Amino acid sequence: MRIPVGVMFILPGLFGFILFFIWPFCISLGYAFIDKPINGSFTGLLNFIELFRNKSYLRGLSNTIRFIAISVPLNMGLSLGVAMLINKMKKHKEFFSLIFLVPLVIPSGSMVSFWSSLLAYDGALNGFLQTVGVEKIKWLDSNLALFVMVLIFIWKNLGYNMVLYLAGLSNIPKDYYESAWVDGAKPRQSFRYITLLHIAPTSVLVLIMSMINSFKVFKEIYLITGSYPHESIYTLQHFMNNMFASLNYPQLTTATTVLVVIIALFAQTLLRLERKASE
Amino acid sequence: MRKGADRILVPILFCLGLVFLLPLIVTFTNSFMTEAEIALNYTSRLTVFDLVDGVVDKFIQIRLIPKSFSVDQYKEVLINQPSFLILLLNSLKITLPVVLGSLIVSMFTAYGFAIWDWKHKEVLFSVYIVVMLMPLQAVLVPNYIIADMLHIRDSYLAIILPGIFSPFGVFLMRQGMKAIPPAYFEAARMDGAGYLRIFWHVAVPQLKSMIAALCMLLFIEYWNLVEQAVIFIDDYAMEPLSVYLSRLAEGRTGLVFAASCIYMFLPLWFLTLGQKDLEKGIELSGVK
Repeated sequence: MRIPVGVMFILPGLFGFILFFIWPFCISLGYAFIDKPINGSFTGLLNFIELFRNKSYLRGLSNTIRFIAISVPLNMGLSLGVAMLINKMKKHKEFFSLIFLVPLVIPSGSMVSFWSSLLAYDGALNGFLQTVGVEKIKWLDSNLALFVMVLIFIWKNLGYNMVLYLAGLSNIPKDYYESAWVDGAKPRQSFRYITLLHIAPTSVLVLIMSMINSFKVFKEIYLITGSYPHESIYTLQHFMNNMFASLNYPQLTTATTVLVVIIALFAQTLLRLERKASE
Repeated sequence: MRKGADRILVPILFCLGLVFLLPLIVTFTNSFMTEAEIALNYTSRLTVFDLVDGVVDKFIQIRLIPKSFSVDQYKEVLINQPSFLILLLNSLKITLPVVLGSLIVSMFTAYGFAIWDWKHKEVLFSVYIVVMLMPLQAVLVPNYIIADMLHIRDSYLAIILPGIFSPFGVFLMRQGMKAIPPAYFEAARMDGAGYLRIFWHVAVPQLKSMIAALCMLLFIEYWNLVEQAVIFIDDYAMEPLSVYLSRLAEGRTGLVFAASCIYMFLPLWFLTLGQKDLEKGIELSGVK
């Protein structure tokens, strides 16, 4: 039997992909159902029950969900706004999209000293606030920390979504707006019936990418506040990170399994939505 | 479109852009301050004089313009502190193999997917997409397990190998490959060109900007390595810059701005070189 040439090109990459992703993932899935990695015995759903009884896990999970629920729509709206402004410009389009892309490429480590000197309890922001007569605020050590995390996420990820939206906006034929204008449509109406309708498929993509990118905010938060931040920004990533430190295999693999299931379900739903939106 | 639009839009976007760039500008200008000035600005500890003056609250001050311009920080970081260069080299040692390896692997794999006539290849490819959509935390545990099994847990290979075989590159390259008209491949086949020849002379030239985009996206991602470094690397001397900088921020604030600037120089430079390519890469990364 002859092996198709295409397969010959795929095989090396596929081998690595299976070895480093698929296979260890299957092992990890198996670990989620036994009590310990070596000579473990089958425990059924015990690990899952234990995980969902773990207060730190529940806190991490709920904070992560809350963070995504706040930051992703906010970021989508803002980046659409910026993309629409840039799209309307005649000149300097590239220059301005460059500016909003800059935070995306800057390594998180480079900004740590800025963020922490700005946001510390005795930091520059509180110093400024005091001159205008506002009491000191614990930016990183109160429920406001979530708000800070959302802002940093938007700062970093606005550019990515903006590029996606710019591409989507440039695909809308200009004469749609013109004929709407001729027909006497108000700007609000043409935004609603032309812009929003046509970028619906783009929006679904942006939603998917934002959700995935939203996990990356951990880099900044971890570098600024360490392993045990204020409880309002203790995320799933912190939990898993700390489980790694103690190498708690059952909890780690169970948490991974739950995360994979949630993301897979979400992605599937959204991809289906995208297909519907583009029709 | 009305003509005066730019006159309103430019100031709005300019102000917004300034806010976005502020962290960057501060880091840059502060890197030219003397260590003494940094020490003065970035402390909130009260001195004897403050106590005499009756100052109760003192805050960190972020100043934009250095009182006296100096390159001492850069000198200290680049010449007097070998540790910084070692860690910079560590970052390169992780990033470069991932970028090169992933580029090669993903181009070949994507090409294979393009020329392979198999009904179910899309099913196989959807596995790539599902893994690609997983956030990093979901693949870290599998990465850790396989690294442990292959006994590479204590080396950079534990980070590099999964990076090389990660599905993102395959996905992006395939998106780029789809844009090449199939007629190109067929014409080359008719002329009797072999598959490798077609790959090199037809596919690669068409993919130039995709290649640039993938290199940049991977570079940005691995240059900014945090999670894997925290989990896989125990030895301080082996850490990449990202993690080290946060520690420097706690200890020697006086150097951190210059170190940060050097660290962000490469990705920024790449961005200005390949903005168009990066944007194209981001556009095509939208799952379709």
